[in-house]
Amino acid sequence: MSGITQLTEHTFRHEYGRLVANLSRRFSIRLLDDIEDAVQSALLKAMHTWPRQGLPPDPSAWLHRAASNLLIDKLRRQRTWNKIEKDLQYQHAETQPEANSVTDHRMDDQLRMLFVSCHPSLGTEAQITFALKTLCGFSVPEIAHALLTSQASIQKRLTRAKETLRSESLNPDDVTEAELVERLPAVQTILYLLFNEGYNSHHPEALIRMDLCEEAVRLTQFLIQHTPTSTPDSQALFALMLLHAGRLQTRINAAGSLVLLDEQDRSEWDWSLIRTGYHWLERAAVGNIISKYHLEAAIAAEHCRALSFAETKWNVIEQCYALLYTMEPTAVHALNRAIALAYLHGPQAGISWLNKSYPDGAPAGYHHWPAAVGELHRRKGDNVTAIKYFEQALSMSPPPAEKAFLEMRKQQCFTGTD
Amino acid sequence: MAKKFLFVYRDSTSAPNQGMPSPDQMQELMARWGAWIEKFMKAGQMVDPGDALHATGKVLRAKGVVTDGPFVEAKELLGGYSVIQCDTYEQALAIAKECPAHHDGSSIEIRELAGLAG
Repeated sequence: MSGITQLTEHTFRHEYGRLVANLSRRFSIRLLDDIEDAVQSALLKAMHTWPRQGLPPDPSAWLHRAASNLLIDKLRRQRTWNKIEKDLQYQHAETQPEANSVTDHRMDDQLRMLFVSCHPSLGTEAQITFALKTLCGFSVPEIAHALLTSQASIQKRLTRAKETLRSESLNPDDVTEAELVERLPAVQTILYLLFNEGYNSHHPEALIRMDLCEEAVRLTQFLIQHTPTSTPDSQALFALMLLHAGRLQTRINAAGSLVLLDEQDRSEWDWSLIRTGYHWLERAAVGNIISKYHLEAAIAAEHCRALSFAETKWNVIEQCYALLYTMEPTAVHALNRAIALAYLHGPQAGISWLNKSYPDGAPAGYHHWPAAVGELHRRKGDNVTAIKYFEQALSMSPPPAEKAFLEMRKQQCFTGTD
Repeated sequence: MAKKFLFVYRDSTSAPNQGMPSPDQMQELMARWGAWIEKFMKAGQMVDPGDALHATGKVLRAKGVVTDGPFVEAKELLGGYSVIQCDTYEQALAIAKECPAHHDGSSIEIRELAGLAG
């Protein structure tokens, strides 16, 4: 009778994001606290009502009505309603079947809200936190848990972000098409970082990681569903996420230890995600600009295409990393290029390139560096040097899954086994 | 002989305040309530799934004094109710043990309806 089981997972969370975006556009971002309270209360009302009376025919519209009414009631009580009504030339919303409008419009609300979240006057951390709260419907404890930080600091970030947005009076409605285009790179960066947060998370729980990746994919979808923001690099970013997400499940084994690419079971990959990733990468291959998202997606696609690890086309991957390194000469790109070179021409080729690009050795605190260098020496058969590097990596307090892996490698060097 | 029982859900006020559940947690809780209600509806034992109650209200006292209430001194706040139909207290207890309220640390008071249950 209740039909509650028909709801897909995270329906409430996504409705939260949709409603906050919609009400912020219709009322004012200055009322964000009241809006969030109203949406929260509407969900609470649904939680009590739906199991007892059954699922309404249109749950989205039900929530929209409930949240609008709760918000208006609250504003009336605060005596701010009349003023707002005058300010906004706002037509009574109670009877307005807003939620029956086309989906695209609701989508649009969230896209605008995403651009509000990524306002340049907020720092990166605040942007990510604010987006997780308002667009993804995570609670403060959930965000703190996912980003491995304290609730107090998440709360602080949110308060500061809201103050900034209030003082700048940034209404989602004020985001012009020109601004969409201008701010797009910043938004792409935030989404990329959010995805990475999930993908390379230092989190002991695999679920949390999946959650952040899924949210990054969902928000990136807003970009590729709207003409002004669906640029080739947005599409490449989307492809890159899908091609990684399709392989996410196999990266950690049941014991919570890292599983390297050559040991992953390729039949366990999510091929429908990967195929969608291919599709978007093909679509992104237009114009004459190649972005770092194109290159990273191309590398991920190459790994997916290889039927087995042995069939990986390392020459293609090495070229992509060489280009990435030219674009952004970072330690991450240098290291990945070294690994590709080692597969192409043997471990010494990788070691030589690292010595050339970073003569002073590992960048501070980057434990992947000594871990990879150790691995190259181990493959060369130089176990003594390998152990030295593995110990250096272990001293940089890597996350649990990687720590277990390094310990195992070190042990293999001592016993001389593979 | 079927009896009717009132289930009264009480939330402890001394429990550490968890704050508002997140949207994800609400959906999960809603699914559990839905499953519990549906199960005993099908069994014909759920007379009225009842409702949850707002945390605050008014209290009309003797002599017509109206106050805001309930009082915070109360150890437990009335959170909601349901009406169940079954033969014995034991059966009612078994149904209550499956209720999500029980698993979320609320207490469930079970009282037989006195005169109108026949």
